[in-house]
Amino acid sequence: MRPRAITGLGIVSPLGIGREAYFESLRSGNEANVGRVSTFDGSTYDSPRLAEVPDFDPTTFLGDKGLRTLDRLTKLSVVAARMALHESGIKKDGAFVHYSPERVGFCSSNAYGSLEAITELDRVAQLEDFRYINPAKFPNTVANSASGYVSIWEDLRALNVTISDGNCGGLDAFACADLLLEGGRADAIVVGGAEAMSEALYLAFEKLGALRSSWIGEGASLMTLEPASLAKTRRASVLGNVVGYGTSFVAPTSEAVLLSASATAMARAVRSAIADAKLAGADIDLVVSGVSGMGQFDEKELAGIAEVLGPDAPVAAPKSEVGETLGAGGAMGVAAAVAALNEVYRPKVIHGTPRASLKTVLVTAIGFYGNASALVVQRR
Amino acid sequence: MRLRVPGLARYKRRVSARVFITGAGVVSSIGLGRASFFHALEAGKSGISKVEAFDKTAEALGRVYAGEIKGFVPRDHLTHAEARRMGRCSQMAVAAARMAVSDSGLTDVDLKGERTAVVIGTTMGEAAVLQGLDHGWIERGASGVKRALLPKYGSTLLSVHIARAVGAEGMVLTLPAACAAGNYAIGFASDLIRSGRADVVITGAAEILEELEFSGFVRLAAMAPERCQPFDLNRQGLILGEGAGLLVLESEAHAVKRNAQVLAEVGGVGITCDGYHITRPHPDATGSIEAMKQAVSRSGITPAEVDFVNAHGTGTRANDQAEAKVMNDVFGARRVPISSMKSTIGHCMGAASAIEAIGCLLTIEKGIYPPTMGYETPDPECNIDVVANVLRRGKADIVLNNSLAFGGYNAVACFAKPGVLPTPPSFASGEA
Repeated sequence: MRPRAITGLGIVSPLGIGREAYFESLRSGNEANVGRVSTFDGSTYDSPRLAEVPDFDPTTFLGDKGLRTLDRLTKLSVVAARMALHESGIKKDGAFVHYSPERVGFCSSNAYGSLEAITELDRVAQLEDFRYINPAKFPNTVANSASGYVSIWEDLRALNVTISDGNCGGLDAFACADLLLEGGRADAIVVGGAEAMSEALYLAFEKLGALRSSWIGEGASLMTLEPASLAKTRRASVLGNVVGYGTSFVAPTSEAVLLSASATAMARAVRSAIADAKLAGADIDLVVSGVSGMGQFDEKELAGIAEVLGPDAPVAAPKSEVGETLGAGGAMGVAAAVAALNEVYRPKVIHGTPRASLKTVLVTAIGFYGNASALVVQRR
Repeated sequence: MRLRVPGLARYKRRVSARVFITGAGVVSSIGLGRASFFHALEAGKSGISKVEAFDKTAEALGRVYAGEIKGFVPRDHLTHAEARRMGRCSQMAVAAARMAVSDSGLTDVDLKGERTAVVIGTTMGEAAVLQGLDHGWIERGASGVKRALLPKYGSTLLSVHIARAVGAEGMVLTLPAACAAGNYAIGFASDLIRSGRADVVITGAAEILEELEFSGFVRLAAMAPERCQPFDLNRQGLILGEGAGLLVLESEAHAVKRNAQVLAEVGGVGITCDGYHITRPHPDATGSIEAMKQAVSRSGITPAEVDFVNAHGTGTRANDQAEAKVMNDVFGARRVPISSMKSTIGHCMGAASAIEAIGCLLTIEKGIYPPTMGYETPDPECNIDVVANVLRRGKADIVLNNSLAFGGYNAVACFAKPGVLPTPPSFASGEA
């Protein structure tokens, strides 16, 4: 992979809204408020294992016009995209000052789209009548609706890509953006992932018994990504460089199994990402893993990492702070990697020996069905 | 009628400029498999019929027609275990993928491993699985949500199930891109090959007809009562459809090495976004025009070399008039024949441009432009050469496949007879 500069980070997470707030929470060790629910009536659940973006008020960032029919996934995404574009300097006060709108694209992952919108319309259809569903909210039911709205609100007219690859999507988005930049389809791409809290999402994970030792988060982590050469030419300040990516899928051996994790897929993804970055395993100073407290998935991810980097490689698990944010998870990991590379904080390692200085961080993710992805991020 | 590319004495593996389509599989309301689909397209056979899956809701909504697939039996294509672990959308996608792989002649050994990727488009994915979960929840509360059904929901499953079925171990990705999803997937897949990241990509899109989505289109006042009549003055809107269209894309080196049949070459795929409105096309159609121009220029040709255009042609006034504007802008005074398959199979949403890409293979193979049925009174706002009601024969070296979707998503793909397009430059030479 050619180096791709991260020149802006817009983040809306359980640890706060905006890069400064997010970094400050990491620095001071603030914890997300697990159990406080505003997106639905949480009283029917016994201490719900979830954390929302605290006090998220989109009108602060977007004004109060045109928000009525937008769902939460869209609002989280638009706010984060706007922050990323402005922080990168591509936009100033809402207008493009570098590049033209036709050359700026969007590439974002979400795992489950807007369950909020779909279940709301399903309720109207079932409890009242199919004839009463709100046509203005109907477009929200498609998984790329949030990305479509970002293009409208931020005037991004190059390609607009939505990625659905579960927990790996937030890293795959960077690989897609890299490919799209390489193919000359855009000069800059706002890239990352988003996932919104809803009762349906929470209920599903609770029902699956996935939250005994983990919790669900939400948010959007979006970054402005440009070819490093272009960022340099326009003298942009660079938060970090994405330099390598790898992915693999390994199917479970049993025909009866659907949910599965593969250490082999994880190891292959790590190996390919390091090779793509033209580095060696020894160059990896820290692994920002997707470990979130979900049994077999954590075990396989760690086993895959250890297979390539050895048992002593330092591995962090920032999902203990921001929660399992699914489609946003990989991009939340990249944001944590950027914070660590910029010496905002030193991530706690769950095993291995931390290194004195950080130059290269590997971010990993493992999916629920046999896929795994890895991304290499370096200091600017 | 198989086109073969003469073997090259030397080639560099993984430096593959050209991308070939070497197999196609389709599950549609007018036929299963490439051959029967081609036959029905030529004849202008309609797959539009009264909806059975949710007939009462449809009647209450006052719209009862759709391109619903009635002859698809999952167990004809899938094992018992596969059928059990998949929703209907994945079932159709995997069935079409199997047909495409079998059509390509690729073996399990060829496909196994990290050099095979899967990239699938969709709009709603397993919408019926979610509806089932939701209904249980609404009727009986949390205890009514079926635990075993939960892991079957998620668009990512379309590509995961296909990867399992064919043995792909490289990138496995679903790209939800509304009604441009098929072309998005094909474009991304061809970029993966062109850049050397994969040798073979199983790509395409799948979509099912589902009650909530059907109702939504009725509520948007976009649905016709009985017929979809693209570009006709008296059109009444779109008719929904469903299905799966899957392609095997292969690098030139890989295809030549195994002396594969080559159905067509994938040229440039143009992708833009209007950034204008979530359901309406841009009134000046600038994004759509740019997408079509990109498809042409990325193929290394000029608009004068395009022989035929498969229209997005949904049969809504907004779409048809915008699309006519695009044609007039890109081709000027030259009237390039255009036709819309949506008049016979309906609008298969995410799957539309993938299924229609397979229709483009018929055009390329036999020089047949499939007819736009129900085109009776030309709309003066659509000054274009519509292939009306019966097929037309003509030159078909280079065709374009349009998709102009919800959210202002524009994606236009170019397909061509192998060897007609100029040798593409190295992939990364386009980077700024």
